[in-house]
Amino acid sequence: MPKTKAAAITLQGVALGYPGHRVLAGVSLTVERGEFVALLGPNGAGKTTLMRGILGLHPVLAGRIEYSFDRLASPPGYVPQRDALDPIFPLSAFEVVLMGTYGKLGPFSRAGRVERERAREALAQVGLLDLARRPFWAMSGGQKQRVLIARALAAEPEVLFLDEPTAGVDAEAEATITTLLARLHRERDLTVVLVSHHLGAIRAVVQSIVWVDEGRAVKGSTEDMLLEHGPASLFRSRAEVA
Amino acid sequence: MNTLIEILKPGFLLRDALVASLLVGLVCPLVGVYFVLRRMVFLGVALPQISSAGIAGSFLAYSWLAGEHQHMEGGERTLALAGSVVFTLVATLLLAAFERRGRGTVEARIGTTYAIAGAVTILFLAKDPHGDAEIVGLLKGDILATTGAGLAGMFWIFGAVAVALLAFQKELLLVSFDRDLAVVFGKRAALWDLALYVLIGIVISLGVMTAGPMATFGFLVIPPVAMRLVARRMMTFSLGSALLGAASAFAGFYLAYRFDMPLGPAEIAVASVALAAIGGVTALRRGLGAARAP
Repeated sequence: MPKTKAAAITLQGVALGYPGHRVLAGVSLTVERGEFVALLGPNGAGKTTLMRGILGLHPVLAGRIEYSFDRLASPPGYVPQRDALDPIFPLSAFEVVLMGTYGKLGPFSRAGRVERERAREALAQVGLLDLARRPFWAMSGGQKQRVLIARALAAEPEVLFLDEPTAGVDAEAEATITTLLARLHRERDLTVVLVSHHLGAIRAVVQSIVWVDEGRAVKGSTEDMLLEHGPASLFRSRAEVA
Repeated sequence: MNTLIEILKPGFLLRDALVASLLVGLVCPLVGVYFVLRRMVFLGVALPQISSAGIAGSFLAYSWLAGEHQHMEGGERTLALAGSVVFTLVATLLLAAFERRGRGTVEARIGTTYAIAGAVTILFLAKDPHGDAEIVGLLKGDILATTGAGLAGMFWIFGAVAVALLAFQKELLLVSFDRDLAVVFGKRAALWDLALYVLIGIVISLGVMTAGPMATFGFLVIPPVAMRLVARRMMTFSLGSALLGAASAFAGFYLAYRFDMPLGPAEIAVASVALAAIGGVTALRRGLGAARAP
């Protein structure tokens, strides 16, 4: 069990979804500082809805979400599913990462030397500094994912959110991303909240699991969740099991 | 060569029209890049038509309120610009709201808007007791009629738009590329969308009043589409599109003057040739690259 730390995010009786359709209800849980949490569950259960709700991208229909940090002064890092980004934008990897610094810049401020250096450092951390000038759309799935992780790091976040970071990448890229996340979590003492279809390769780095299913979200240790839901549920999605 | 020298002389008779052409060619692509990146190109067909309806509507209002037209002088020109901007902005916001709610298909919405705007423009002109051929000509784009005062107004308005696009590039890019991240960062995404739509509305309105709907649409779309084939960075994309637009406007002006052709179509023809050339070279390079690959 990880050592108990102060809460980074606390959800109290939270309901999320759309007007007239609640996807999740009565969610109460705490994500501790420095914790590595995976949101797991079957397809369509509401894992991404839960993450988007915590990030303020979905309206909170009931309950409250508290953050231990100032979300505007220190915005969370966010790694969306890479397919959500349109490849029509002619952006280099560096330009994508530089966007991570925009959170702390006001409307009339331009990304200057400090921000550019921070973007370069973030790219170096994910091992892609050599590819800084390469067009983002021309990169492989695994490289794009690492660029998006670098963008999240450039925001200098206390909490890092990732939406299915290993979906659709090959086994080698999945291992690289998992190792990278484990290193960042360890070295920067980052709080990591990650949505995944299955435990798979992240099993070794995840400390807690939030199991999302049938409108509920329950948090527990990986061991407890394995006992409760069985390896088949945690290591494969329900559709795959069926 | 003599024609080129004549055009470049400070005392050139159509100097104001040439500068107006260059301004439209330079600034329309700067907002056009967002049409292409946000996959709103079809909207670029409808908005100039809506802008025309706004101009016709403001002429009609002027006739009712003030009497005969003053040939686009002073208050009438300001009223026309205001009517055009309001119509364009309201239509853009409505279309964006329908899109967000997923009402109907994009093609149906834009096609319907285009048809309605075209019909309304003609109805407004037909009901204008002082409407005349000069106004109809203006709606089609009468850039050769650009006056010194009109050009000064264009310069300041387009200049302000270009400065705003440059100053807020990071916000406009962020909400266009990754709206969710903008929200996570606490940016007011809807406000930045509105700011972009206002800038688009102003550019289209002034572009239509100066060069007409067809040339405005051409400059909005063709230079960015061409530059998208070769640009690898946002700044290259934006500035390259603007420069290509301005170069097309200059070359089109030269051809129109030299061979006595209509100006707007000549400019768009030049831009289209540039698009075809860039597309051809890009395809050739890709073909050669594929052939060399092991």
